[in-house]
Amino acid sequence: MAVRHLNVEVRLESDVAVLDLMGEINGFAEEALNTAYQQAHAKDTNTILLNFEGVDYINSTGIALIVGLLAKARASHKRLLACNLSEHYVEIFNITRLSDFMGIFPDEQSAVSEISAS
Amino acid sequence: MTDPKPARTDAELRRTMAEFSVPSEPGNERLAMETVAEAIRDLDIRGENLERLKTAVAEATMNAMEHGNKYRAEVPVEVMVLVEDRDLMVRITDRGSGPPPSQGGDTPDLEAKLEGMQTPRGWGLFLIKSMVDEMSITGDDGHHTIELVVHLGAEGGK
Repeated sequence: MAVRHLNVEVRLESDVAVLDLMGEINGFAEEALNTAYQQAHAKDTNTILLNFEGVDYINSTGIALIVGLLAKARASHKRLLACNLSEHYVEIFNITRLSDFMGIFPDEQSAVSEISAS
Repeated sequence: MTDPKPARTDAELRRTMAEFSVPSEPGNERLAMETVAEAIRDLDIRGENLERLKTAVAEATMNAMEHGNKYRAEVPVEVMVLVEDRDLMVRITDRGSGPPPSQGGDTPDLEAKLEGMQTPRGWGLFLIKSMVDEMSITGDDGHHTIELVVHLGAEGGK
Protein backbone atom coordinates (compact mmCIF):
# COMPACT_ATOMS: atom_id res chain seq x y z
CA MET A 1 0.00 0.00 0.00
CA ALA A 2 1.59 3.25 -1.15
CA VAL A 3 2.03 6.00 1.40
CA ARG A 4 0.21 9.21 0.50
CA HIS A 5 2.93 11.70 1.30
CA LEU A 6 1.73 14.94 2.81
CA ASN A 7 1.37 17.95 0.55
CA VAL A 8 0.60 21.33 2.14
CA GLU A 9 -0.58 24.57 0.58
CA VAL A 10 -0.46 27.79 2.57
CA ARG A 11 -2.85 30.70 1.97
CA LEU A 12 -4.20 33.77 3.72
CA GLU A 13 -7.93 33.93 4.52
CA SER A 14 -9.32 36.94 6.45
CA ASP A 15 -6.19 37.41 8.55
CA VAL A 16 -5.87 33.69 9.19
CA ALA A 17 -3.00 31.68 7.72
CA VAL A 18 -4.56 28.45 6.48
CA LEU A 19 -2.59 25.26 5.92
CA ASP A 20 -4.46 22.94 3.53
CA LEU A 21 -3.18 19.49 4.45
CA MET A 22 -3.46 16.71 1.86
CA GLY A 23 -2.24 13.16 2.44
CA GLU A 24 -1.13 11.26 5.53
CA ILE A 25 0.24 12.80 8.71
CA ASN A 26 2.90 10.32 9.77
CA GLY A 27 6.67 10.25 10.10
CA PHE A 28 7.10 11.11 6.44
CA ALA A 29 5.19 14.38 6.93
CA GLU A 30 7.66 16.13 9.22
CA GLU A 31 9.52 18.21 6.65
CA ALA A 32 6.40 19.23 4.69
CA LEU A 33 4.53 20.16 7.85
CA ASN A 34 7.35 22.18 9.40
CA THR A 35 8.15 23.98 6.13
CA ALA A 36 4.50 24.92 5.69
CA TYR A 37 4.27 26.08 9.27
CA GLN A 38 7.25 28.39 8.75
CA GLN A 39 5.55 29.85 5.65
CA ALA A 40 2.36 30.38 7.64
CA HIS A 41 4.30 31.93 10.51
CA ALA A 42 5.90 34.37 8.07
CA LYS A 43 2.46 35.67 7.06
CA ASP A 44 2.45 37.42 10.43
CA THR A 45 -1.09 36.57 11.46
CA ASN A 46 -2.20 35.89 15.01
CA THR A 47 -3.94 32.68 14.00
CA ILE A 48 -2.91 29.60 12.03
CA LEU A 49 -5.60 27.15 10.91
CA LEU A 50 -4.82 23.52 10.07
CA ASN A 51 -7.35 22.33 7.51
CA PHE A 52 -7.55 18.52 7.67
CA GLU A 53 -10.08 18.12 4.85
CA GLY A 54 -7.61 16.23 2.66
CA VAL A 55 -6.23 14.03 5.45
CA ASP A 56 -7.42 10.45 5.86
CA TYR A 57 -4.77 9.10 8.22
CA ILE A 58 -2.95 10.43 11.28
CA ASN A 59 -0.78 8.14 13.37
CA SER A 60 0.91 8.66 16.73
CA THR A 61 3.99 10.14 15.06
CA GLY A 62 1.66 12.58 13.30
CA ILE A 63 0.11 13.47 16.65
CA ALA A 64 3.62 14.21 17.92
CA LEU A 65 4.24 16.49 14.93
CA ILE A 66 1.04 18.39 15.69
CA VAL A 67 2.12 18.71 19.34
CA GLY A 68 5.36 20.21 18.03
CA LEU A 69 3.47 22.77 15.92
CA LEU A 70 1.28 23.65 18.88
CA ALA A 71 4.36 24.18 21.04
CA LYS A 72 5.83 26.52 18.42
CA ALA A 73 2.58 28.44 18.12
CA ARG A 74 2.28 28.89 21.88
CA ALA A 75 5.90 30.03 22.12
CA SER A 76 5.21 32.77 19.57
CA HIS A 77 1.80 33.66 21.09
CA LYS A 78 -0.18 32.51 18.08
CA ARG A 79 -3.46 30.59 18.12
CA LEU A 80 -3.43 27.24 16.40
CA LEU A 81 -6.82 25.92 15.24
CA ALA A 82 -8.00 22.82 13.41
CA CYS A 83 -10.94 22.21 11.10
CA ASN A 84 -12.47 19.44 8.98
CA LEU A 85 -11.27 16.63 11.21
CA SER A 86 -13.26 13.40 10.85
CA GLU A 87 -15.33 12.21 13.82
CA HIS A 88 -12.63 9.67 14.64
CA TYR A 89 -9.82 12.20 14.72
CA VAL A 90 -11.92 14.63 16.76
CA GLU A 91 -12.12 11.82 19.32
CA ILE A 92 -8.36 11.37 19.18
CA PHE A 93 -7.79 15.11 19.61
CA ASN A 94 -10.11 14.91 22.62
CA ILE A 95 -8.47 11.95 24.35
CA THR A 96 -4.96 13.29 23.73
CA ARG A 97 -6.22 16.66 25.10
CA LEU A 98 -5.01 18.49 21.99
CA SER A 99 -8.51 19.96 21.83
CA ASP A 100 -7.90 21.64 25.22
CA PHE A 101 -5.17 23.73 23.63
CA MET A 102 -6.36 24.28 20.08
CA GLY A 103 -9.83 25.16 18.89
CA ILE A 104 -11.51 22.44 16.84
CA PHE A 105 -14.04 23.57 14.22
CA PRO A 106 -16.23 21.52 11.89
CA ASP A 107 -15.22 23.54 8.84
CA GLU A 108 -13.08 26.46 7.69
CA GLN A 109 -15.94 28.94 7.57
CA SER A 110 -16.87 28.44 11.21
CA ALA A 111 -13.23 28.76 12.27
CA VAL A 112 -12.66 31.98 10.32
CA SER A 113 -16.00 33.42 11.51
CA GLU A 114 -15.04 32.71 15.12
CA ILE A 115 -11.71 34.47 14.68
CA SER A 116 -13.29 37.43 12.90
CA ALA A 117 -15.85 37.84 15.69
CA SER A 118 -13.32 37.63 18.52
CA MET B 1 -36.65 -31.89 28.52
CA THR B 2 -34.66 -31.33 25.41
CA ASP B 3 -31.54 -33.17 24.50
CA PRO B 4 -28.47 -31.43 25.83
CA LYS B 5 -26.43 -29.67 23.20
CA PRO B 6 -23.14 -31.37 22.48
CA ALA B 7 -20.19 -29.63 24.06
CA ARG B 8 -18.58 -27.17 21.66
CA THR B 9 -15.03 -27.93 20.66
CA ASP B 10 -12.20 -25.41 20.72
CA ALA B 11 -12.41 -25.25 16.93
CA GLU B 12 -16.06 -24.23 17.13
CA LEU B 13 -15.36 -21.64 19.79
CA ARG B 14 -12.39 -20.09 18.02
CA ARG B 15 -12.32 -19.03 14.39
CA THR B 16 -9.26 -17.66 12.62
CA MET B 17 -10.35 -14.80 10.38
CA ALA B 18 -6.92 -13.96 8.96
CA GLU B 19 -3.26 -14.70 9.41
CA PHE B 20 -0.65 -12.69 7.54
CA SER B 21 2.62 -10.84 7.89
CA VAL B 22 4.01 -7.50 6.75
CA PRO B 23 7.64 -6.44 6.26
CA SER B 24 8.92 -4.01 8.88
CA GLU B 25 8.96 -0.93 6.69
CA PRO B 26 7.58 2.51 7.60
CA GLY B 27 4.02 2.90 6.35
CA ASN B 28 3.18 -0.80 6.43
CA GLU B 29 0.99 -0.29 9.49
CA ARG B 30 -1.69 0.90 7.07
CA LEU B 31 -1.43 -2.35 5.13
CA ALA B 32 -1.94 -4.31 8.36
CA MET B 33 -4.82 -2.06 9.40
CA GLU B 34 -6.66 -2.37 6.08
CA THR B 35 -6.08 -6.13 5.88
CA VAL B 36 -7.59 -6.61 9.34
CA ALA B 37 -10.55 -4.39 8.41
CA GLU B 38 -11.16 -6.49 5.29
CA ALA B 39 -10.92 -9.74 7.28
CA ILE B 40 -13.65 -8.66 9.71
CA ARG B 41 -15.99 -7.01 7.23
CA ASP B 42 -18.73 -9.54 8.02
CA LEU B 43 -18.58 -8.91 11.76
CA ASP B 44 -20.78 -6.35 13.44
CA ILE B 45 -18.06 -3.74 13.83
CA ARG B 46 -18.91 -0.59 11.94
CA GLY B 47 -18.36 3.14 11.84
CA GLU B 48 -16.49 4.66 14.74
CA ASN B 49 -15.91 1.25 16.39
CA LEU B 50 -14.15 0.03 13.26
CA GLU B 51 -12.07 3.21 13.09
CA ARG B 52 -10.96 2.69 16.70
CA LEU B 53 -9.88 -0.89 16.02
CA LYS B 54 -8.02 0.21 12.87
CA THR B 55 -6.10 2.84 14.82
CA ALA B 56 -5.19 0.29 17.52
CA VAL B 57 -3.98 -2.22 14.90
CA ALA B 58 -1.94 0.45 13.10
CA GLU B 59 -0.29 1.68 16.30
CA ALA B 60 0.48 -1.85 17.54
CA THR B 61 1.99 -2.74 14.17
CA MET B 62 4.09 0.44 14.22
CA ASN B 63 5.39 -0.44 17.69
CA ALA B 64 6.24 -3.96 16.52
CA MET B 65 8.06 -2.72 13.40
CA GLU B 66 9.94 0.05 15.23
CA HIS B 67 10.72 -1.26 18.71
CA GLY B 68 10.60 -5.02 18.14
CA ASN B 69 12.03 -5.41 14.65
CA LYS B 70 14.00 -2.13 14.48
CA TYR B 71 12.52 -1.46 11.03
CA ARG B 72 14.52 -4.31 9.47
CA ALA B 73 12.44 -4.93 6.36
CA GLU B 74 13.37 -8.60 6.17
CA VAL B 75 11.95 -9.24 9.65
CA PRO B 76 8.17 -9.60 9.45
CA VAL B 77 5.46 -8.56 11.83
CA GLU B 78 2.92 -11.36 12.10
CA VAL B 79 -0.77 -10.63 12.52
CA MET B 80 -3.49 -13.08 13.53
CA VAL B 81 -7.18 -12.21 13.70
CA LEU B 82 -9.40 -14.51 15.75
CA VAL B 83 -12.95 -14.62 16.99
CA GLU B 84 -13.45 -16.55 20.20
CA ASP B 85 -16.90 -16.70 21.72
CA ARG B 86 -17.92 -13.00 21.81
CA ASP B 87 -14.44 -11.50 21.52
CA LEU B 88 -12.51 -10.35 18.50
CA MET B 89 -8.78 -10.70 19.10
CA VAL B 90 -5.93 -9.31 17.02
CA ARG B 91 -2.49 -10.63 17.92
CA ILE B 92 0.51 -8.76 16.56
CA THR B 93 3.91 -10.42 17.00
CA ASP B 94 7.41 -9.07 16.42
CA ARG B 95 10.85 -10.64 16.82
CA GLY B 96 11.93 -8.46 19.71
CA SER B 97 14.21 -9.86 22.36
CA GLY B 98 14.40 -9.17 26.06
CA PRO B 99 11.51 -8.60 28.41
CA PRO B 100 8.24 -7.50 26.82
CA PRO B 101 7.60 -3.77 26.81
CA SER B 102 5.73 -2.26 29.73
CA GLN B 103 1.94 -2.40 29.43
CA GLY B 104 2.22 1.39 29.85
CA GLY B 105 -0.56 3.41 28.37
CA ASP B 106 -0.81 6.10 31.05
CA THR B 107 -2.14 9.40 29.76
CA PRO B 108 0.82 11.36 28.36
CA ASP B 109 1.49 14.75 29.95
CA LEU B 110 0.63 17.13 27.12
CA GLU B 111 1.56 20.24 29.11
CA ALA B 112 5.07 18.85 29.69
CA LYS B 113 5.40 18.09 26.00
CA LEU B 114 4.25 21.60 25.03
CA GLU B 115 6.75 23.12 27.46
CA GLY B 116 9.56 21.05 25.92
CA MET B 117 10.10 19.07 29.13
CA GLN B 118 9.17 15.78 27.41
CA THR B 119 9.51 14.52 23.86
CA PRO B 120 6.38 15.19 21.77
CA ARG B 121 6.26 11.45 20.99
CA GLY B 122 5.03 8.61 23.20
CA TRP B 123 1.35 8.39 22.22
CA GLY B 124 1.25 4.88 20.76
CA LEU B 125 0.43 2.65 23.74
CA PHE B 126 -1.94 5.25 25.15
CA LEU B 127 -3.86 5.36 21.87
CA ILE B 128 -3.99 1.57 21.64
CA LYS B 129 -5.36 1.23 25.18
CA SER B 130 -7.91 3.95 24.52
CA MET B 131 -9.20 2.34 21.34
CA VAL B 132 -9.92 -1.26 22.39
CA ASP B 133 -11.62 -3.02 25.29
CA GLU B 134 -8.51 -4.90 26.44
CA MET B 135 -4.82 -4.89 25.63
CA SER B 136 -2.04 -7.14 26.87
CA ILE B 137 1.60 -7.67 25.98
CA THR B 138 3.43 -10.97 26.38
CA GLY B 139 6.81 -12.19 25.28
CA ASP B 140 9.48 -14.87 25.31
CA ASP B 141 13.13 -14.96 24.28
CA GLY B 142 12.55 -14.03 20.65
CA HIS B 143 9.05 -12.64 20.34
CA HIS B 144 6.72 -10.02 21.74
CA THR B 145 2.99 -10.23 21.15
CA ILE B 146 0.46 -7.51 21.74
CA GLU B 147 -3.12 -8.75 21.92
CA LEU B 148 -6.02 -6.41 21.25
CA VAL B 149 -9.51 -7.48 22.31
CA VAL B 150 -12.83 -5.99 21.25
CA HIS B 151 -15.96 -7.37 22.87
CA LEU B 152 -18.51 -8.12 20.19
CA GLY B 153 -22.04 -7.25 21.13
CA ALA B 154 -24.59 -4.52 21.01
CA GLU B 155 -21.89 -1.90 21.19
CA GLY B 156 -19.56 -3.71 18.81
CA GLY B 157 -16.47 -2.23 20.41
CA LYS B 158 -15.34 0.22 23.02
